[in-house]
Amino acid sequence: MAQNRRRWRALNNMFGSALKERRSNVDWLMLTALGGLMCIGVAFIYSATMANESASLTVWYNQPWFRQIIWYGLGLAAAASLCLVDYHILARWSLVAYGLAILLLLAVFAVGSMRFGARRWIDLGFFLLQPSEFAKLAFIFAMAHYLSRPVDELRLTGVFWKALGLTILPFALIMREPDLGSALILLPVGLTMLFVAGAPVRYLTRLVGGAGILVVFILVDVLYAPPKYQIKLEDYQKRRLLVYFGREALPAAASGAERAEARKQQRNYSYNVEQALISVGSGGLLGKGWRQGTQNALGYLPRAVAHNDFIFSVIAEEKGFLGSVTVIALYSVVLFTGIRIAGQTRDRLGKLLAVGIVAMLFSHVFINIGMNIRLMPVTGVPLPLLSYGGSSVLCSLIAAGILQNVDIYRRSY
Amino acid sequence: MLIFDQLKKNDPQLRAITWGVLIGLGLLLAGLWWVQVISYRHYSENQRAQSFRTVRIPAIRGKILDHNGAPLAENQPCYNVSLYLEELRDGFKEEWKRVRPKGKLPRGERISLEAGARYRVVSNVVQNLAADLQQPLDLDYGQFLEHYTNQLALPMPVITNLTPVQMARFHERSSGAPGLDLELQPNRFYPHGTCAAHLLGFLTHDNSSAQDEEAFFNFRLPDYRGKVGIEGVFDLELRGKAGMKSVLVNSLGYRQSENIWTPSEPGKNVVLTIDLAIQQAAESALRTHGPDTRGAVVVLNPHNGDILALASAPTFDPNVYIPRLTHDAAQRLNDPVLRPQINRATQENYAPGSIFKIVDSLACLEAGLDPAEKIQNPGHILVGRKLVKDLALPGEYDFRRAFLKSSNTYFITNGLRYGVENIVRIGERLHLGERCDLPTRQEVSGSFPRQRTLRQGWSSGDTANLCIGQGRLDVTPLQMAVMTAAIANGGKVLWPRLVERIEAQEPLGQDTTIVFPHRPVRDELGVRPRTLELIRTAMLADVEDAEGTGKAAAVPGLRVCGKTGTAQVANERNQVIDHTTWFASFAPYENPRYVVVVMVEGGASGGGACAPIAQKIYRALLERENYNGAKPAPMARTE
Repeated sequence: MAQNRRRWRALNNMFGSALKERRSNVDWLMLTALGGLMCIGVAFIYSATMANESASLTVWYNQPWFRQIIWYGLGLAAAASLCLVDYHILARWSLVAYGLAILLLLAVFAVGSMRFGARRWIDLGFFLLQPSEFAKLAFIFAMAHYLSRPVDELRLTGVFWKALGLTILPFALIMREPDLGSALILLPVGLTMLFVAGAPVRYLTRLVGGAGILVVFILVDVLYAPPKYQIKLEDYQKRRLLVYFGREALPAAASGAERAEARKQQRNYSYNVEQALISVGSGGLLGKGWRQGTQNALGYLPRAVAHNDFIFSVIAEEKGFLGSVTVIALYSVVLFTGIRIAGQTRDRLGKLLAVGIVAMLFSHVFINIGMNIRLMPVTGVPLPLLSYGGSSVLCSLIAAGILQNVDIYRRSY
Repeated sequence: MLIFDQLKKNDPQLRAITWGVLIGLGLLLAGLWWVQVISYRHYSENQRAQSFRTVRIPAIRGKILDHNGAPLAENQPCYNVSLYLEELRDGFKEEWKRVRPKGKLPRGERISLEAGARYRVVSNVVQNLAADLQQPLDLDYGQFLEHYTNQLALPMPVITNLTPVQMARFHERSSGAPGLDLELQPNRFYPHGTCAAHLLGFLTHDNSSAQDEEAFFNFRLPDYRGKVGIEGVFDLELRGKAGMKSVLVNSLGYRQSENIWTPSEPGKNVVLTIDLAIQQAAESALRTHGPDTRGAVVVLNPHNGDILALASAPTFDPNVYIPRLTHDAAQRLNDPVLRPQINRATQENYAPGSIFKIVDSLACLEAGLDPAEKIQNPGHILVGRKLVKDLALPGEYDFRRAFLKSSNTYFITNGLRYGVENIVRIGERLHLGERCDLPTRQEVSGSFPRQRTLRQGWSSGDTANLCIGQGRLDVTPLQMAVMTAAIANGGKVLWPRLVERIEAQEPLGQDTTIVFPHRPVRDELGVRPRTLELIRTAMLADVEDAEGTGKAAAVPGLRVCGKTGTAQVANERNQVIDHTTWFASFAPYENPRYVVVVMVEGGASGGGACAPIAQKIYRALLERENYNGAKPAPMARTE
């Protein structure tokens, strides 16, 4: 009897491991987390948009929550089809993708459509393509491909500077749109990849130090310098910075009326943050319940942003701290799975790809949620999978697909 | 575990990244904990503050009723049409779409254009309503803008106080129009106009919170507060407790929904001792004297001190204060000669004149004056170097004749003989110079010499003056009524009572009635019954005797006892500029039921001006008794 059982177990082990060998490789935990995020996304995009009469009057298949489902479907399909091709083969095309992305970014300046004072989109008729989202992916691929050379080469300053250039080019282009948030994402991603690739830490510290000093200089300049010596930032960027640091954009000698006007303007610009904070804060521990949030329904949280950049406020108001924790837990599953994949991947390309994607997703999550609780200044960074928007959803799912691809085709220990 | 597997591996970079992600997510969680759990109260208060507007709803004011339950002050429904702007939002949008110019507009210009579009939409609605009601209505742009910016959460009043015809038209034609609604607002109404106006007092606009109420409101619906009289003194009871409703507003300030947090508690009714019929009789009797009579009447129950009527002329209509006092009405109220706001029955000092001889009589008869003793009256009396004229003809006077002819000589002579201290003692027992604690905040105390005053530079001239009710004393008609009641009821000095009870408006609610019982007797005159009887007979003679000065008060079927008085009003240089005339009386002689004191400023004499007024009042009292006797009054309440 016992013998029988032992034999069965051995057999089972053999087939089991063989089976595992063949389909080891879809990470169900991560997939579940992604699924959870998508469900939350649909539910709260529904909640955020259906309070608005005009949205609820349109046909159901044109309503945002349904469109989001379609994007999820498309994204999942794209991710699945990416998984069919070994990432080593994909990486060969990375420079082409990078070049295409740069071209698209340039095209934005030529044929892009203006929305909210910025030129970030290319109107494809059925869909507003946001090239900066895809540029991030192309950039990660190109960086990973470039940095996957032997570690020793990275010590060469030339290689280092080239890698830096690879980062700066899309950064500058996205910055010009202007889209400070998306551009800023590239920096931590690039730096992380350099760091993991094994670039000398002293280069990096110098780089970060230098950049830090530059940023502090710019901030001090913008916040305190007399107007004549100030760096030319976009008006809205400057205001956002000022709002974040709680200062009025005003010369000391301004008259009372000017001061009042400036204060009013500042109130308008800090309004979103204020309302987001009130939404999040008034959610409390358990929240007000799905579709019971008043901030969004009454329009205090502006309807234009409630379902995309500020979707987290809606979730936090309606589901409270518990809901926030759930969201962060789901993201951490995805992020740590990514890190596990990076850790288990033997080849540098796979590892760098995984790390780049983790860095990108993390930056989005951190900046977006951070801006809802005033940890970060307001920048138009979407929350992966939860924010409404085709480009963002496609990119997030493709990114997850690449992680999965790495997991499948990695050369394991 | 998933996370720590990475940390254990010999891969410093990945470990660093793991830590970075962990710290980052930890930071977010900490921040969220701080915002959502620690600062929850702060943010939810902010949220409530920005999305709720609290509105104070005034309670329905209690009524003021007379002794029989007839309303002296009540509430009248007033119908207003209001416009709910949030229901016109689609119209606003359409109009804006129609007029919106092409291209980008400067912010200020766009805002004013939008406001203009909204104004046109609202104005159209108002004009349609005007056509339906067949009454021209005008919507002022500034007024609309004011309401839109400051009171968007509240409906905008379009027309107030609809007539019944307009109500019918509204129901027929406009009731389905978007945004328009009929609203009912209770307004204070004094059904008898000027009747008892002084007692009742009046209201002024005042939306502020009472003492134990919620102090902060975003909006307050119109409310009133009592100023003087019963409305003023019992304001807290009458006004009830204001309620609160909260209006949920959206980010643009439009009303979304509302609910009532605390309903208002209606005010209580105040029931007076006043009898409406007597009060009206007293006022109309006063009016017969002339168009601008300045005078007062007090009708008192001599046994318990209940004030049955307290009239003052000229009077005013408290309805003019609702909804707002107009300029003309205010001017009339502030007339320097007529002074209609003064309650002359309690609020003004007067010299009592000869009716004070009742006090002299009490003092002298108690001190041993023989009523049969005769005094020769030469037609004047010399006190010191001052000659006091006597209007009574020269001749011999005993007490009865002196009283009914009101001989100055007789009373000054006896007053000087029996001493001013006795007079002052009686006056003190009558509590002259002290208030009667009438709950109307309209009382002066008058003035009367104290025993102490007599020791400091008091001359016999002062005594002589006091004996004829002039000089260093002032009284109010109400005090004289209390004095007369003491003669009528056998020597009890009473507290006059005006308020019977305060009761809940809804009789079904729990019984919170506050009864104001008759207060114990304030003082006893402490005189012999024979003295009182002598005075009562003398007072009867004053009315019934052919020689009596108060003949004009005689009423067939009712034996009226009275005393007339005429006091001189002098200016600073001691010149006589006016007269205060009096008639203090009670009836019937056998079993007194009423005390009637009439005072008229500027009358010719007490007998000529006041006695006829008293006569009319007694006639009305008699008629009322006969009427009620034939058919018991259904409203009468047992106590």
